[in-house]
Amino acid sequence: MNFNILLGLSLIICLVGLIIRLSIWFSQGTRPSAPHISSAERMSAALKGTFGVIFSGRIVEMVKSFFVDLLFQKRIFDKNILRWTAHTLIFFGFILLLLMHAMSPMVSESIFSNYQSTLNPFLFLRNLFGLMVLAGLAIAVYRRFSLKSQRLKSSASDWAALIFVGAIILSGLLLEGAKMSSYTVYQNMVEEYGSVSDEEEAMALEAYWVQENGLVSPNVLPPAAPELVQKGKELNGDSCIECHASNRTAFAGFAVSKITRPFAAVLGDSATVTMFWYLHILASLAFLAWLPFSKMFHILAAPVSLIIKRVSGDEIAEPANTLTRQMIGLSACTHCGTCSLECSSNMFYESFQNEFILPSEKVQYLKKIVAKKETDPAVLKRMQEGLYVCTSCDRCTAVCPSGINLKELFVNARYMLLQQGMPETTMLSHFSFPLALAQNFVDDHLQALKKVTALFKKNFQHLTDIALPMTLGKGSKGLSNTTYRSCYSCQRCSNICPVVRSFEDPVEALGMLPHQIMFSLGIGKVDLAMGSQMIWSCSTCYLCQEHCPNQVELCDIFYTLKNGALNKIEAGASS
Amino acid sequence: MKYAFFQGCNIPIRIQQYATSTTAVLHHFGIELEVVPEFNCCGYPARNVDEKAYILPSVRNLALAEKKGLDILVICNCCFASLQKARNVMGKDPALLAELNGILAKEGLKYSGTAEVKHYLTVLHEQVGPETIKKQLVKMFTELNISVIHGCHILRPREITKFDDSFIPRITEELLLTTGAKSLDWRGKLECCGAALAGINNDLSQKLLKEKITGAQDAGADFITPICSYCHLQFDTMQVNMLNAAPEPRLLPVLLFPQLLGLCLGIDEEALGIARNNTIAANHIEHIKGLLGPPKEEKKKKKKAPAAA
Repeated sequence: MNFNILLGLSLIICLVGLIIRLSIWFSQGTRPSAPHISSAERMSAALKGTFGVIFSGRIVEMVKSFFVDLLFQKRIFDKNILRWTAHTLIFFGFILLLLMHAMSPMVSESIFSNYQSTLNPFLFLRNLFGLMVLAGLAIAVYRRFSLKSQRLKSSASDWAALIFVGAIILSGLLLEGAKMSSYTVYQNMVEEYGSVSDEEEAMALEAYWVQENGLVSPNVLPPAAPELVQKGKELNGDSCIECHASNRTAFAGFAVSKITRPFAAVLGDSATVTMFWYLHILASLAFLAWLPFSKMFHILAAPVSLIIKRVSGDEIAEPANTLTRQMIGLSACTHCGTCSLECSSNMFYESFQNEFILPSEKVQYLKKIVAKKETDPAVLKRMQEGLYVCTSCDRCTAVCPSGINLKELFVNARYMLLQQGMPETTMLSHFSFPLALAQNFVDDHLQALKKVTALFKKNFQHLTDIALPMTLGKGSKGLSNTTYRSCYSCQRCSNICPVVRSFEDPVEALGMLPHQIMFSLGIGKVDLAMGSQMIWSCSTCYLCQEHCPNQVELCDIFYTLKNGALNKIEAGASS
Repeated sequence: MKYAFFQGCNIPIRIQQYATSTTAVLHHFGIELEVVPEFNCCGYPARNVDEKAYILPSVRNLALAEKKGLDILVICNCCFASLQKARNVMGKDPALLAELNGILAKEGLKYSGTAEVKHYLTVLHEQVGPETIKKQLVKMFTELNISVIHGCHILRPREITKFDDSFIPRITEELLLTTGAKSLDWRGKLECCGAALAGINNDLSQKLLKEKITGAQDAGADFITPICSYCHLQFDTMQVNMLNAAPEPRLLPVLLFPQLLGLCLGIDEEALGIARNNTIAANHIEHIKGLLGPPKEEKKKKKKAPAAA
């Protein structure tokens, strides 16, 4: 197929993809219980914001961001030199190849009047840039393997990106190598540019190219006769060297030509060149078409996200822009996993075996959730738990190389899901503490808590529900802590408890008092104890336990009861 | 002497001044703190949900410190209790130890229990000592009434935390005395600030907090000095939230112990981050600095001195 048709096709796909991705910036978002903001309003707010920056002193920050954040990649540099090296090698190698080589008619030829792809420094640089990319890729692959034990997750699309870029560079080198050894290519060059007068001169030139430029000739086998090579060298100087530097300066292609030779021996030299040409072109154009639909879209989104981060920080005043910024952030994620490597909740991931606890995995699914593509309740439930099992340490936001405001995304997504209806039992943990401090979505939080309370009412019997006379329970076998057996109901615990003291009618407010809970465990009524409001109102101050004359470990037992109650509820919900 | 500095999740993002002031004060006495970026959450927030999930994070942190050959220095009470609890559980439950070590082995870590956990007050009290501190003072508070709130999880359960006498704690008191400040006797001193209930039962949480604020004020406190980072956030952030919603009770400003001690040691107030406390206004800082006088010999010593001479 014609190259231009392929190029046109992939450009169109790329363009359509870009339009889709950009429109998502202004149409989707996570925010619970908020008035709808139309895409048009969001676009105009974004434009207004952008112009507001351009025509103000903050333009300085923007320019600074271009050099510091985009070109130098400071956020990666500050975190990890090795990863920075990888990214810089790939980034500069690829961009320079794109400009100098792929877009040579537009860029190189208009800048350098003497540009020839076969002349130095271009011939050498093309190889150098290609090798830079490959070296960067090698580090990236090493990183993905070596950090697997540190909970770095790699998805198919991560490998696809690495393979795509690798395929482009390798096929390019193979193409170059195949051309170097191709006799057909050589003959065409001689016909077009060479001035050899007779058979002897032709043989001499050929001998020189076999010896020096890696040509595979049916007529001359290396090592060629030195005097012939010497003569060839003179001829090469007369008719070739002006337009074609030594292939040895294209060091990588020259080395690779040893790999392509067997192909040429089997397929024929011309067919081999064509094959690698197609490989190279198809890899490059497929990458171009794939780009907007993949994480490679970060090439566009990450710079925007980084500039916003530097210019506006984490707080954005205009509500219409908050949502847009969220979506830019989501699309800027490269799934590099830096957030998950540093996540303070990483061990909870190990315990709960819920990968949504890791921020990098949350982001991947958030994209689907905001697009309303993920509706499986089981997945949403796990996502909700993953969003909640978070210490709000904000490390993810601090380290994100793309400058994504992850904390804001997660807080919004957390309440968006909670609002959708499923009760979240981990709300009854101290993960709720920083949320209470921050006072985000206060009403949504209370509503969600009520759903959990309702679950308790449904799942547990309460003291007031029990008809007398009461029978003995099944026993407290599940409890490993048996110190409750030593309780002789002196009520010291209930008397010292600051929570009990807080209510005029503590039994009504708390269901049972601490000593009553110990007693109910004694008569085997574990469920009754689990269902009491007291255990969730316990401030865990340990005063009861410390003051107990019989060393009953009340507070520790409360924790066990809380764990057990939540397990029971979760088991009920999943059965 | 160097420790692995365990800051937990709240301090680096919400109370940097606790870290900077502690670092500055300990540095003054030749104790260095190494920040370990690999440390994760202590596990405390998950305790209501799953006890094993609560223990594992601290075991990993201890294993990390072990690998570095350092003991851990902690500021936050809840982190302190979690780490001590993990040590205790690992010591008596070999099956769980093996299970958790299996998880840690994936990333080349192993818990064997060699790293110790020290609260910064213990280090100041035992390793430096009140006498040495007094010798280093360049200033001293003349009349400053402080209500200390020890926080629960540093004191109790005593067989786990092993910090101090859980009924009559003296470490904090003796350290505070070195600055010349008066540690008031008040009823909330050993009680709960309500943090553990925030976000689960806000009304009850704030009731407990309010009770402490008015309790301290009734005792005549100028400032409250919370030891635990959770207490600090209750008094320094939640209190402000509460006052924004309803103007009762009166604001009780917060000063951290290393900030008080730091001022007496002549450490720059910027480094101590006093202005970073939400409840501290510029006039408070002027007021506190106005209360600083030359360091005094204790009365007893004054009496003894002539006798010795």
